[in-house]
Amino acid sequence: MGVIREDGGVAAGPALRLAGAGGIAPVTRLALAVSGGGLGLAWGGWVAIAVAAGGAALALALGGARRLALAGLGLLPVVLSSLALNAFLPAGGGGVATALDALARLLAVTLPMTLLFAVTPAADLLADLEARGLDRRAVFVLGAALAAVPGTRERAAGVIEAQRARGLDTEGSWPRRVRGLLPLVGPLVIGSLIEVEERALALEVRAFAAPGRRTVLRRFPEGRWQRAARWALVGLLVGGVAARVALPLAGLPAPARVRPW
Amino acid sequence: MLVLDRAAYRYPGSSRWALPPTSLEVAPGRVVGVRGPNESGKTTLCLVASGLAPVAIGGELQGRVLIDGRPTLELRTDELAQCCGLLFDHPAAQLTGLHRTVEEEVAFGPCNLGLSPEAVVERTAEALRLLGLEDLAGRDPGHLSGGEAQLVALAGLLALRPPYLVLDEPVSRLDRDRSDRVATAVERLAAAGVGVLVTEHDEGFLARLCDAILDLGEGR
Repeated sequence: MGVIREDGGVAAGPALRLAGAGGIAPVTRLALAVSGGGLGLAWGGWVAIAVAAGGAALALALGGARRLALAGLGLLPVVLSSLALNAFLPAGGGGVATALDALARLLAVTLPMTLLFAVTPAADLLADLEARGLDRRAVFVLGAALAAVPGTRERAAGVIEAQRARGLDTEGSWPRRVRGLLPLVGPLVIGSLIEVEERALALEVRAFAAPGRRTVLRRFPEGRWQRAARWALVGLLVGGVAARVALPLAGLPAPARVRPW
Repeated sequence: MLVLDRAAYRYPGSSRWALPPTSLEVAPGRVVGVRGPNESGKTTLCLVASGLAPVAIGGELQGRVLIDGRPTLELRTDELAQCCGLLFDHPAAQLTGLHRTVEEEVAFGPCNLGLSPEAVVERTAEALRLLGLEDLAGRDPGHLSGGEAQLVALAGLLALRPPYLVLDEPVSRLDRDRSDRVATAVERLAAAGVGVLVTEHDEGFLARLCDAILDLGEGR
């Protein structure tokens, strides 16, 4: 194992694989995604479209077309329901323009985060956050939350296989599938709870609760410009959100909505 | 010496004693085996011997559990981790899921202690070498087989260099080759002065390693 020294050099030992070394540090990527998503959500309209388009262009440039398409597919039910609710039902009341605006905000929030995790392993982001002083418990909670979705999916697949082996029918017509869901929920929830307890104990036996600072093995070298860029992004986000809140208070017109015509 | 002196334990909220009064001693450099049918209290014995029960999980302990003369009830969980390592039988839950490589996963414990990076690297390399896991060092811990994950979890404990180890059915999910690796590692650890308490169904494994074997009987 190699160790990244404070000066950015690597101590003796086999090389430690450092994704992102020499490039954009994971925390800078996070700042970019959060500020883009936050501004898009706050302003909506063309700002949101610009953020979404920028994110999509970046994803395509980085070769993430497949993941982008999958993320888009995952959003499809939300998009369709938003369009239906706003455009056709009196309860929504906003019309197509409102539906498109909601869609643009949704894309502006989800695309940068999808892109972030497409190009940044969660472990790198966690390691970078910890190296910059984030508490170990916060890092673990964040890591556990990020691992929850794939973990649950994996566990669900195991439960489905086990229940099928015992004769449960989880395929066929929709009513049959819905009926098949019930025997899956119990083992999935109980299994998750047991695993959380086991994992907590496993952390204890690894001295997770030891006092003091943890040793940082990985640092992500970065140029001075990245620190400045992060502060600029934070400033942009805070200023942008503040301006969006202040506009109506000052009696100024709200930003123009996206119109389909 | 790791000592259980008529130690009995019941889990929080339970009126039933999961571990009846049990006495045993594990001296440095000795390997003590525990066998017994399912539900006989082997896992509970491991939790009690390592101090996690009741220090981390609550419940009630009667009798005494001492590690080198210190009652486990007086130790914090991070102190317990450095006195006595506990390996569970379920490999996946023992890995943190926070790391990209096996070597980082193994280094997790020493990092928690705030050791110097050089010391962490040395302990990690030694633990991997002891179990013959150098070839896994760069692998993603999330993509290991059950047997590999179990060995990596054991390496993570060894990196903390505890004087005592409690192994709860350590080879129940391993093939013959990996069982042999664990057995060899336990023999080396015992030769180096580590006291080991191991529960296992595999009689051959126990016979090969143990200086004494405790039978927990027919259970309830």
